[in-house]
Amino acid sequence: MLKALLSTWAGRFIAVFVLVQLLLPLHYYLARKDPHDERFAWRMFSPMRMTRCQPTFVIDGKPTNLGAEFHEAWVEVAGRGRFTVIEAMGARLCAKYPKSEVRVSIDCTYLDREPRSYGGYDMCTVPLL
Amino acid sequence: MAKKGHRPKKKAAPAPASERADGSPPRSELAKAHANKSRAHAPTELVREPAFWFGFEVSWAKLSFARLVIFALLALDALLQISHAPRYGAGGFNVGQLPGLDTIGPGRVGFEIGQLLCAYLFVYAALGVATRFVIPAAAAIYAWLYFGSQLDSYQHHYLVALVLVIACFVPWERKPETVPGTPIRAWAVRLLLVQLGILYLWAAISKMSPAWLDGRTITGQITGSLRSAIEGSVGFKAAARFALLTELILAVTVWVRPAWIVALPVGIAFHIGILASGLDIGLFAYLMLAFYVFLVPDRLVVWIAESLPLRVIRGALRRIRLERPVAQTIVTGFALAISVALARFCRFDHAFVLAAVLCAIPIVLLAAAHLVAAPGSTLRRSVAAAGLAHLLAIGVWLVVDRSTTTAVDYFRFWGGNARRLGDPVSAEVAYRRLIQIAPDEPAGYFQLGRLLLARGEEVAGLEALHEAQRLEPLAARAWLAEAQWLVGKGRKAEAIQKAQEAVYSEPTNQAARDLLDTLSGTRSAPAAPVDPARPPARDDDADKPDKP
Repeated sequence: MLKALLSTWAGRFIAVFVLVQLLLPLHYYLARKDPHDERFAWRMFSPMRMTRCQPTFVIDGKPTNLGAEFHEAWVEVAGRGRFTVIEAMGARLCAKYPKSEVRVSIDCTYLDREPRSYGGYDMCTVPLL
Repeated sequence: MAKKGHRPKKKAAPAPASERADGSPPRSELAKAHANKSRAHAPTELVREPAFWFGFEVSWAKLSFARLVIFALLALDALLQISHAPRYGAGGFNVGQLPGLDTIGPGRVGFEIGQLLCAYLFVYAALGVATRFVIPAAAAIYAWLYFGSQLDSYQHHYLVALVLVIACFVPWERKPETVPGTPIRAWAVRLLLVQLGILYLWAAISKMSPAWLDGRTITGQITGSLRSAIEGSVGFKAAARFALLTELILAVTVWVRPAWIVALPVGIAFHIGILASGLDIGLFAYLMLAFYVFLVPDRLVVWIAESLPLRVIRGALRRIRLERPVAQTIVTGFALAISVALARFCRFDHAFVLAAVLCAIPIVLLAAAHLVAAPGSTLRRSVAAAGLAHLLAIGVWLVVDRSTTTAVDYFRFWGGNARRLGDPVSAEVAYRRLIQIAPDEPAGYFQLGRLLLARGEEVAGLEALHEAQRLEPLAARAWLAEAQWLVGKGRKAEAIQKAQEAVYSEPTNQAARDLLDTLSGTRSAPAAPVDPARPPARDDDADKPDKP
């Protein structure tokens, strides 16, 4: 059956497509370091969607108004705790304010687990959460 | 185990058995032709293509109806996304869905034009015109728009990106001898249904947690009529478990033809329920319902397609088919002229220029049909349809623009972004365009007035604020802005008068009351109680984030 499927280009396309779609969501459960990032995992309306995070960016000891630095849609994504976006925001602020300390912390509350904080350090020296 | 070299080589492999609703073999000449084609391209070794994929057939009537519904919805969805374009590239910041895409993600203009193009191409696809070209083109543009930025949090847009890739391999175009009941072999349609099954499976797995099963999650998500219906009947715990069970059922039935008798009613009821849930998920539920067209029994769709009214319409369309070059040129030219005229009234940014540029597509097709294509070819027979598809696509732009606030929101959000991110020049351009297309919209005058006053253009700024005061007599903000400007100018008496106007206009506005108190040096009456159900104040030029 598999040999027959793989004997044509269309069959090979089907096999790769189905395999990728079956396995890609596993990445969320097995390998993704960011539990808030549910992209490509078909986790519509999951409990994680109810997560609320409060990202705080402090530049040289002064809290930053994220709304003045980034579009509100990005601030909203950061409010869902998505690490890649928060890391990119940190990198952006580090570039904009060179030689400054950009301390980032995220406080998240969950529906199904205890609140948790992430970060809390200078993202210009440690750029990943 | 037979080794490859030991098996006697044959020139042709047997064609896969068909999978039809009644399990019978393919009957049409088209199916036989397809089988012969399969043989011609089969490897010399005896390999039977799996019937599960390559024997899958749908009737032409169902395929063409699904094409119409799905691509029409996608065109609508693309146009409705345009209001979000200003968030793309705002402040020069972007994070792609995939690593390495940050810098090539779309900006405001790219996203807006990309969605206009997608909608345009989807209309062609919905009509079955040049699908072999327009669907791959739309898939590429859509993939760029979606994967280029994490700003698109709609998971159904990821599904659409996948579906468009699959759709590139569906034989959407009608062959001359095709009739409504003609079975069309379409492994890509089977793949699409398997993709839906995978989606349901993983969606169900994501709900296998205590927070879902005890109803906590669904309690926090559902609003609207469904919420009260659940509260008054089974309760959220049972509803949550029922949703999980439904997704599991759909995961195993949506791609298996004999099980469609279960999947069709269950899936339709499920997605109608999602529609009633009040979740802000764009056109997701409608799109999923559109995919269920593939599950409708072929016999029913063919019966409808063979009904007298539809037969009459098809016959009429065949009779007016234009095959002479002169007639095709006249029709195409007429369609292009009307489309350009329509585009003048379309308020989407760049719509007119883009519509004019897109006129090249029917013109090129017309030239190719008569200079390159063979007589009797599909292109030569149907090239006039490209002109009509172009006209309809521009018509769809116009209808969506004029029946929604998408274009108005686009300029309002653009101005708001630019203003908040410290780009007053862009903000002014956006607000002036907003005033131009929506002269009754107070936000444009209010924000433009503030911008002009901030840079010292007093007459024009006050004029804009006064217009905003006229357009929204029950809002304090324009009075307040004028009062604050007068304070800055040291004109206290006039400022008090404007602050009083602000309080009269909107007695619950605390900022207006505070300013009046400060200026007059007295305490005014206590503020009216604020309705707790009223949402917190938010700029009316701020974009609303997507829900995942």
